[in-house]
Amino acid sequence: MDYTIVGNGVAGIEAAFKIRERWGPEQASITVISDETDYFFSRTALMYAYMNKMRRRDLEPHDRQAYERQSIELVRDRVVDIDADDQSITLRDDGRRDFDRLLLAVGAKPRMIQWPGVDETDDGIVHLVSMQDLDECERLTWTTDEAVVVGGGLIGVELVECLRFHGVDVTFLVREPYFWPAGLHREEGEMIQQHIASHGVDVRMGEELAEVIPGSEGRVEAITTDTGEEIPCQMLGIAIGVTPRTDWLDSTTTPPSCGRGIHVDRSFQTDLDNVWAAGDCCEIDFGDETRVETIWYTAERHGRLAGLSMLGDDVTYDPPVFFNSSKFLDIEYTTVGTVADAPDGSKTLFRRMPDEEITQRIIVDEQDQVIGFNMLGSRWDHTILQQWIRERRPLDWVRDRLSNAQFDVEFGRVPLERMNEEIRRL
Amino acid sequence: MRQKGTLGWLKHDVTHRGITAWLLTGALLAFYLVLYFTDWLTPIAKSLGLIHKWNLYGALYTLAIVTGGIYVIAKYRDNRYQVIRTSVVIFVQSTLAFSVPYVLELFNQPAVYLSYLWPLEISILYPKNLASAPVYFAVWAVVGSILIAPILGIFYGKRWYCSWVCGCGGLANTAGEPFRHLTPTSQGWWNFEKYAVHITLVLALLTTGLVGASYLIGPEQSPVLASYANSLQSWYGLLVVTILSGIVGVVLYPIGGTRVWCRNFCPMAAILGLVQKFGRFRIRVKDDMCISCGMCTTYCEMGIDVREYAQNNQDFTRAACVGCGLCEEVCPRGVLHLENEWDRDPQESLTMGALLEESYK
Repeated sequence: MDYTIVGNGVAGIEAAFKIRERWGPEQASITVISDETDYFFSRTALMYAYMNKMRRRDLEPHDRQAYERQSIELVRDRVVDIDADDQSITLRDDGRRDFDRLLLAVGAKPRMIQWPGVDETDDGIVHLVSMQDLDECERLTWTTDEAVVVGGGLIGVELVECLRFHGVDVTFLVREPYFWPAGLHREEGEMIQQHIASHGVDVRMGEELAEVIPGSEGRVEAITTDTGEEIPCQMLGIAIGVTPRTDWLDSTTTPPSCGRGIHVDRSFQTDLDNVWAAGDCCEIDFGDETRVETIWYTAERHGRLAGLSMLGDDVTYDPPVFFNSSKFLDIEYTTVGTVADAPDGSKTLFRRMPDEEITQRIIVDEQDQVIGFNMLGSRWDHTILQQWIRERRPLDWVRDRLSNAQFDVEFGRVPLERMNEEIRRL
Repeated sequence: MRQKGTLGWLKHDVTHRGITAWLLTGALLAFYLVLYFTDWLTPIAKSLGLIHKWNLYGALYTLAIVTGGIYVIAKYRDNRYQVIRTSVVIFVQSTLAFSVPYVLELFNQPAVYLSYLWPLEISILYPKNLASAPVYFAVWAVVGSILIAPILGIFYGKRWYCSWVCGCGGLANTAGEPFRHLTPTSQGWWNFEKYAVHITLVLALLTTGLVGASYLIGPEQSPVLASYANSLQSWYGLLVVTILSGIVGVVLYPIGGTRVWCRNFCPMAAILGLVQKFGRFRIRVKDDMCISCGMCTTYCEMGIDVREYAQNNQDFTRAACVGCGLCEEVCPRGVLHLENEWDRDPQESLTMGALLEESYK
């Protein structure tokens, strides 16, 4: 049986290892094809390479010999065609190749808007999603004193932090009235905003990019905002989210059904026989809704399940209580359950440490059952918070036991009893 | 990518095995050769009012730990484990390892180093030294080395010594901070480490045993044994104590990372590592939260592939781990937690096989 995996990101590699766990090289040959890098690397660590904290090689989660030991063939090439009826793919350099089972784990690409001037700008517009993005950022940083970053999300902050590390003056354009309403409530958003500003960043809330102005060489020279202000910059970082990579499928012989992403059912099967999709590129049909999940943890989970599904196991993706984590410069962030999009009538308990950037938010629904947590500035064991949500614990019960879920370093446990509290109904 | 400018170049070059790193290594080697094999430093020590060149070396060593320690405390000021641990390192070095023995010497008392225990400081258990040492120190040398060190190891892991008290670890975790990511993590190094560190331990035990037996039996009764004991003692002193711990351990900082001695050769680390394996200390991994970024592995000065455990949701106790807590500090998602707990994840294996093959790769 030949298992072919397109994409060597976390979803693709997890699937490959899952298949190998069950079948030895005699039963299954496994090929992973990527055009981006020779080896799987941790996309989430790109910022640390950019900031000189890690060498490129350090980004690789597995020993290079591991692929050889596991008999996983790595191919550096690009898939340009899929013919599911013929069970074959075509590679740009290496031609046709047969498969028995195919996994598309091609990820997502940065979302882009064709602002006026973008087409005329040949150089200086960057993202921070792929290894090639990192190459571009590094090449441009040498000749950059001022930069503008657009997009108040998680990658935007990473890019801002990296540019500050290199001594670049950064203007951060955030469309929303406060930082990241998709994940945070106003109090936390404003705290993060101030934290970013305290690192010497010019944070502009409620301002949008209006036009990109290229210089004579074609490299970005300035931008204007929707207030008409012109801001000089030699780099323009765009971090307004990612979208599944599906456009390349249109021109293939047998394009799988796509919407926002490649349509899959809860076993990660596409509408094509013997073709699966997993990770950031897929749109999963849960019956009542479809979901595109584009974070590290979901891609990892998709990959494992898709691997099992390709082995013939009966897989039904049932996502656990949502969790995610991030770090806004120095402030660590853990979120569990439903927070920003909590239904009307929910009640929130907001806790803040006086004079410190430490907050907690606990959300309960109308029945006083806990549904979400947003924790900033200290460490939490999300597995305990998930458990409380599953157990539908009431607010007072959770608040009294909050210390059970603390995960701070020894001697560094945050004194929860010193925090101010405020209850509000949404 | 390095920062811009000459300073950016220098910072990168010296911490990434560039030309300046090699020059620094050369300078350190020259200094140590002069220190150990000439008397050129004696007049300098005397002109500074010190008794001998080893006081001068002690003063420089302490200065390096204090300066580096202040840098580390400032860098990790938000992490109380790092602040407290580094403060203790500075305190122990400047008192027990430097000023106490110096003051004793000033008053013509025998200098004692209370923070250096056997088998790291192998000579304190040589019977001749035990007999001539002040009684309190002889008692401390025996009880501290044989009983207290391993017992504390059971309860708190080897970190209580290796990264809170010991001067070798102290220098690594303070002045050595900019070089810690250079420790190699390859399979080849693991193979070398597991043999080298245990061979040194066996040598240390053998040397102590032979020197002790020769003393008890008496050199007149068994001159052959006495001559073996003598030559083993002096070979061990030259090779392990002087060259490996004294010189190589520090000279290789800019090239091979900070814990070359501790990881590959220190017999004390070997014993405490075995003890730690059966004690309470472990690193807990928060399930499913690892993003495989690899900061932990990069900054592990003992070359442990921490990421491999973290991304497999596996709590672990590695014999090599000195519990410096830097993996826990640099993890951007707060996945790792150092702790002392008896109850273990059933996945954690305690067999000898697991011990020998504990490298994850």
